[in-house]
Amino acid sequence: MNFKGTLPTLILQALAEEPSHGYRIAQRIKARSKGVLDFKEGTLYPALHKLENEGLVASYEGVEQGRTRRYYRITKSGKAVLTKDRSEWRELSRAVTLILEEA
Amino acid sequence: MTARFETPLDSWIGRATCDLSLDSAAQVRAEIVEHFESARETAIVAGTNAADADRAALAALGDARAVNCQYRKVLLTSAEAKMLREGNWEARAVCARPWLKTLMQAIPAIPLAVTFVMLSRGEAAGARLPFLASLALFMFLAGPFLPVYTTWRGRVYRAAKWAALIAVFVLAFGADSLKYFWLIASCLWIPIWTEATRMSIRRKLPVAQWPKQLYL
Repeated sequence: MNFKGTLPTLILQALAEEPSHGYRIAQRIKARSKGVLDFKEGTLYPALHKLENEGLVASYEGVEQGRTRRYYRITKSGKAVLTKDRSEWRELSRAVTLILEEA
Repeated sequence: MTARFETPLDSWIGRATCDLSLDSAAQVRAEIVEHFESARETAIVAGTNAADADRAALAALGDARAVNCQYRKVLLTSAEAKMLREGNWEARAVCARPWLKTLMQAIPAIPLAVTFVMLSRGEAAGARLPFLASLALFMFLAGPFLPVYTTWRGRVYRAAKWAALIAVFVLAFGADSLKYFWLIASCLWIPIWTEATRMSIRRKLPVAQWPKQLYL
C-alpha cells in the first residue's frame, strides 16, 4: 500500500516505543501493520537522516550480538512532532472515514 | 594484478551513492551493508537458502536510483563537500594577510568617497551609480567582518544582502530593470548558484557543524 509521506511519522512512532536500528525499525513497521505497509527498505535511511538533520531523532553506536550497529532514538522535539502528527492523522482519518461512509 | 569481484550489493550501493561525497558514501555503505546482513541472516534462520536470502534482501532494498535521489536530498553531495572544503579559501586568505583585510574593508569606501565628491559638485544624478556600487560592495565584502555568526543573524544578513543587491539593480536600471533581466541573471548566476548550494548544505548539516561561510 502506498503510504508516501507518512514514513517519518511511522519511524518516530517505532522509535517512541524503544531506540532501535534501521533493520528493526523496518521490520517493526511491517509487522505492526500486518504486512499492509510494505515499503522499500532502502528508503528508510534517507528518511532517518532527514529526521536526524531536523533534530527529531539522534543516533549513536551500539553493539548487538557482537556487531556494532547504528541505533536511533527519538528526541524531545521528535516526541512533540509525533504528538502533533498523531492528532492530525486522527483528524484526517476521521474526516475521510466520514466521507467514505456517506458514499 | 587482482581483479575485484563486484557483488550485486556492491553494484546496488554504487548506484545508490552516485554523486555523494566520500564521507556520505561511506556512511551509506555501512548502513546498507548492516541492513542487508541482518535481512540475510533473518531469511537464512527462517530456512531460506543463502542465494535466495541474498536476492530477497537485495530486492527488499528497492530501486537504487530512487534511493540515491532521496540520499542526495539529505546527505552532502560531492559538489557540496567540495564547496565546504575549498569554498572558504577567500576567508583563509584574508585572515592570513591583515593588509588584505584592511583593503577589503576599504574598497566600499572608494565609490562612497566618489559619491560625496559628486554630490559636493552638485551632480546628484551621477552620484547614484557610485553610491549603489558602494552599497553592493559593502554587502558582499563586509559580511565576514560583521557579527552574523548565529542562525538568526545569518538569516537577516542574507536577506539584507539579496534585498540590497536587487535594489541596486532596480535603482541602476530604473524602468528598464525587467528588460535587462537577462544581464542581471547572467551577472549573478555564480552568487545565485553559491547561495543555492549553501542553502542545500544548511539543510543537511546540523547548525553546530556549520563553518563560518554558511552564515554568509
